[in-house]
Amino acid sequence: MSQLFLQAQPQLNFWNGLNGTTGLWIKILIGLALGVGLIFALMSAPTQTRRPIVAFVTFISGLFYVLYFFFPRPIDRQPGELPLDFVESVSFYIDDAFGVVTDFTAILSGLLLGLGIYSLLHVHVKRIIKAHQNWFFSVVLLVSMFMMTIVGYWDWITRRGEAGASLDDPANWSAINYTKDLMFDGLLQAMDAAMFSIIAFYILSAAYRAFRVRSVEATILLATALIVILSLMGAVEFLWNGMIDGMTGKDPGSVVNNLKLTEISKWLRDTVQGAAIRGIDFGVGIGALAMGLRLWLSLERGTGGGN
Amino acid sequence: MLSQVSSWRGEQYLDTGWVPPAFTLLLCIWVLLNIRRAGTGKDLFIRRIAGLNAIDEAVGRATEMGKPVLMVPGLSDTVNAIVVQALNIFSYVARIAARFSNPILVCCYSAPIFTVGQEVIRDVYNEEGLGDKFDPDSVRFISDRQFAFAAGVSGILLREKAAATFFMGEFYAESLIFAETANSIGAIQIASSTESTQTPFFIAACDYVLIGDEFYAASAYLTRQPVLVGSLVGQDWCKLTVALTVLIGVLANTIQLGPGSHKMITQEKRDAKFVNVEGGPRPITPDDTFMSQLFRKQSDPELVIERPIDPTFVPPADGGGE
Repeated sequence: MSQLFLQAQPQLNFWNGLNGTTGLWIKILIGLALGVGLIFALMSAPTQTRRPIVAFVTFISGLFYVLYFFFPRPIDRQPGELPLDFVESVSFYIDDAFGVVTDFTAILSGLLLGLGIYSLLHVHVKRIIKAHQNWFFSVVLLVSMFMMTIVGYWDWITRRGEAGASLDDPANWSAINYTKDLMFDGLLQAMDAAMFSIIAFYILSAAYRAFRVRSVEATILLATALIVILSLMGAVEFLWNGMIDGMTGKDPGSVVNNLKLTEISKWLRDTVQGAAIRGIDFGVGIGALAMGLRLWLSLERGTGGGN
Repeated sequence: MLSQVSSWRGEQYLDTGWVPPAFTLLLCIWVLLNIRRAGTGKDLFIRRIAGLNAIDEAVGRATEMGKPVLMVPGLSDTVNAIVVQALNIFSYVARIAARFSNPILVCCYSAPIFTVGQEVIRDVYNEEGLGDKFDPDSVRFISDRQFAFAAGVSGILLREKAAATFFMGEFYAESLIFAETANSIGAIQIASSTESTQTPFFIAACDYVLIGDEFYAASAYLTRQPVLVGSLVGQDWCKLTVALTVLIGVLANTIQLGPGSHKMITQEKRDAKFVNVEGGPRPITPDDTFMSQLFRKQSDPELVIERPIDPTFVPPADGGGE
């Protein structure tokens, strides 16, 4: 059993194998067949049968992470060491299995990506066939998606092995490397940055609405925001703080120093805002904990307001 | 040596490491205890949450206008507690929309969320006996790149002219892009982010915002299921426990640091041991206080466990397929 999960000594792990060997491919196919078979068996089972199975698997999966968090972890463990007693045997096992269990999530996400791509294809091919308004954008999206996939993988293949090391220097690039660079760094990254920069304008329009003096709360918000904004403006901060320094004669012990823009702004951020955000974070954390407990123990039933 | 430290201690329980797990365990007990209390028929009170009361109004408005309701369950990479909670709220929204035959759109950031989301919404339509009205394309995978997703959702908002939008879950820099785009088309917006840094953006741009743990209170508020209401009361007990701990910390630190923080100490804790301060007494700092040290475990570099080596052990070679 331990050979199914042992990661500290991969050579003993049943699922391990050297890249490209037939044995490894057979193991991958066995794993895939087992996984797909299990999924179909579960899908074809009646709901009454499926529910306890799902609850059991959820509980066991959750229990692993609970044990990982609470069970005494091995102290100062080095590679190749053997456990000294039963407690250490369990803790070594949990420690070794952690990587394997977390990999399950990545594998599942990889499988589900296919469904995501299917959804994209379904929506956009339909738009093109039915010649919906702006159907041309769907063509652009699909062409971009396939181009990026093909060029990305092609570029990745050229960069593998010893020959790939030479591609660190752009002088050795081929057309495919230039194409990938143009598509990823030249277009995609630049478009990401363009979308990000739009936020600056949206902040302005949102701030205009938020800071309108409509109530006592909005006025307090406006006043505090104004202080923080002014404290970040070099010239204003220099003049105001300089005036305070002039009043105190640069005496660091003077109480009047607390009226410096930077001090008021720091107090607002550290004391008022910091405390409020910590309070919200505590609430969110506790909410996530309660939600996690309900999911783990299958206490969370369909909550859409149904019967 | 192991003779000095029992293996039951565990790496995480050395020094004061036992405090955070014990505290977590206490919070879990509060939640489970209250779920059990609620199951016994106790009538537990939940205060009014404006953002959740507005759901019916938002969907009703969309129905009157004949425009779709758009929902985004955040930018989580995978299906976690936050996504499940967002989908819980969306299934409630979808149920009302289904009853009014109002179109919906759910935009998903990752493939796992898309898969689960599609099944959840399909189940809602089936439960309402409207399975034939469910459009699988109403739940869409957009992109798993942050700003490509933002551009995609903004485009859908502008093209479909959604009348009501629900942004709930993990949101980051793109939160304001969504909220301002939806505002520009006059959509009624109900939003909530588990990221406290994004909550102010939603407050500035949206009509209703669920702040912090109100997001997790939504299921209990909407359905009044005893288990969920009990869990919510348990969360309140947890918050009281945290508040009490903070209060004790404030008092303890105030007493220990003293007015003006001019107290001097002769011993300090270093590598999980108390040692004399080098160079004589020094002023006490917040890191020297009891509460600070209680919640910050220190590691002991001298603690080494000698174990037998496995004779069959071979260090992993490069090129393995693990």
